[in-house]
Amino acid sequence: MSALLEADALSKTYRTAFRRRDVKALDSFSLSVDTGEIFGLLGPNGAGKTTFVKIVLGLVKPTSGSASIDGTTVSDWRSRRQVGYLPENHRFPDYLTARQMLRHYGRLSAGQSSNRDIDRLLDRVGMLRWADTPIRKFSKGMMQRTGIAHALANNPKLIFLDEPTDGVDPVGRREIRELLTSLRHEGKTIFLNSHILSELELVCSRIAILNRGKLVTEGRLDELLQKQTVYAVTSTRIPEQLLDRLSDVQPAPVRASGRGERPDSELSHYEIHVSSRAHLNVVLDQLRREHVEIESIIRNTDSLEELFVRAVDSDGSSQEGIAR
Amino acid sequence: MSAAFEMMKLTFLELWSRWVTVGLFVASSLVWILLSFTLNLDIVEGSLTGVRILGQDAGVPRERVETASGEAVQQFVTLNMFVSQIQSFVAGVAYWAAAFLGLFAAAPLLPGMLSRGQSDLLFSKPVPRLALLGGHLLGVFLVVLTLATYLYGMIWLVMILKTDLVAGRMYGSILVVVVMFMAMYSVVALLSVTTESSALSLIVTYGLIIASVSFLFRDTLELQINRPWRGVYVGLYHVLPNFAETTKIAAGFAGEDPIGSWYPLISTCLFALVMYVAAAWRLSVRDL
Ligand SMILES: Nc1ncnc2c1ncn2[C@@H]1O[C@H](COP(=O)(O)OP(=O)(O)O)[C@@H](O)[C@H]1O
Ligand SMILES: [Mg+2]
Repeated sequence: MSALLEADALSKTYRTAFRRRDVKALDSFSLSVDTGEIFGLLGPNGAGKTTFVKIVLGLVKPTSGSASIDGTTVSDWRSRRQVGYLPENHRFPDYLTARQMLRHYGRLSAGQSSNRDIDRLLDRVGMLRWADTPIRKFSKGMMQRTGIAHALANNPKLIFLDEPTDGVDPVGRREIRELLTSLRHEGKTIFLNSHILSELELVCSRIAILNRGKLVTEGRLDELLQKQTVYAVTSTRIPEQLLDRLSDVQPAPVRASGRGERPDSELSHYEIHVSSRAHLNVVLDQLRREHVEIESIIRNTDSLEELFVRAVDSDGSSQEGIAR
Repeated sequence: MSAAFEMMKLTFLELWSRWVTVGLFVASSLVWILLSFTLNLDIVEGSLTGVRILGQDAGVPRERVETASGEAVQQFVTLNMFVSQIQSFVAGVAYWAAAFLGLFAAAPLLPGMLSRGQSDLLFSKPVPRLALLGGHLLGVFLVVLTLATYLYGMIWLVMILKTDLVAGRMYGSILVVVVMFMAMYSVVALLSVTTESSALSLIVTYGLIIASVSFLFRDTLELQINRPWRGVYVGLYHVLPNFAETTKIAAGFAGEDPIGSWYPLISTCLFALVMYVAAAWRLSVRDL
């Protein structure tokens, strides 16, 4: 079975007509998302997240590569039949009320939508009270909620949300998270774009990190976090040849940490990069056998945040085993 | 198909949410209301014996005609001629009002559709891009058709009620006005799709309209232009739209005058066709 969303080596270079500066927004980016996932695409501003979503929705033509939704190539408008989309910085015609907007825009994507359906949608995002208010009077957070209702108007299988919690207050954010979770229980597939980690951390089953148009890493959240477990070790000096030998087990599991050392101290600081506790103990056994005396071991509670920052700092190179 | 229809409705609604469109409607109402209240015609046995404007006697309109013997004499115009003159005049004025104000009202719409924030919403729908463009164009044309029909139709009715005379072919004028508007809007469409600037598209379209006024005096101008440039000028006459010359056709329909030449209308339509094809192509290949 093929994935619901499939992107193969997508590249996009924006050419600006007058300034002769090309922007490589996406560089050979491949990805696949299966039915039922909440997938998060994470990256700093300008990483190319929006560009990716726009290519997949047929708004932007890729310079090279291809993508498909449910087996239909994205250059065909039919690929968007089962798709909902909340663009970043969307602007609805502001002379319409929320209800009118959902009726007209709903018909563009789904044919008919009854008043009952529209009320249910508005209720779902907590906007029913404002159904007959012109959109021009809405706050940013209300716009976002209305936009999410709009993305659900055609009862889509696959929903793209580009920075959905942008400008939403903390309570609203939690409500949006809960909404996403309930959508997932209905079997919907959700693709989230965000530059804010905590937004993805709490809801996504899988994430990819994008930086300067390149995929940095990708995987299940727990796997990504585990891959990154780092122990800060303070011990007597580890002989060079032992450090080399340990590198054979796994690429450089033990590294001198960047922390400055007092010259009079007999202790040194190291970082041990391992994938499991068992592996940590194997490394410790070897150190002890060589009479390295351990002063302390601290498990870095490595959050996705650190993973993200490291990934972005290292600018595209593999982040595994990178010491700071 | 239903998506294009929905886009048409959205465009129609958006135009009516603008004050220029409502203003055009109000101005049209003023024109026919004024005409019906201020103009009093004395008609005796089907011929015009007096015209009063706001109660003041304006005299009976006369025209110079040459008799068979070559003498020039003043003669009363027939009622039919009088009515068709008024209708021609209104048709001509309305043509230009529709052109300038209609374009002014509609020009920001396409750049708006293509602007960041709206283009993402519209063009991510499961609808071909050209269906959205088509729906938009139909919506704009429908508003112009509504306004033209309203103004011309009311004037026509007022004149019929006042004189019992059915003069002119108003449907013809309405058609010409709408078709000419379509032609003018083709420039707006192409430039909007390429540059997203309503100011630029308006300036260029108004520029073309002004250039077309010079084509009214083509016969005299042509002789004053030096050789190599004369060819360029004649070439431009055929290539560029002939908005001004077409006024004569609109006025001709409104009155009883025969229509001299269809060429300006036809060549302008061809120009518009090329513009629309280019706009459609540009929209289907560009990034949004
Ligand atoms: N239409 C465009 N023309 C030129 N450059 C663009 C355009 N859209 C985006 N870019 C550039 O492409 C890069 C990626 O942008 P974007 O996909 O919006 O990133 P993100 O959504 O991750 O913040 C940025 O450097 C941005 O300036
Ligand atoms: Mg973005």
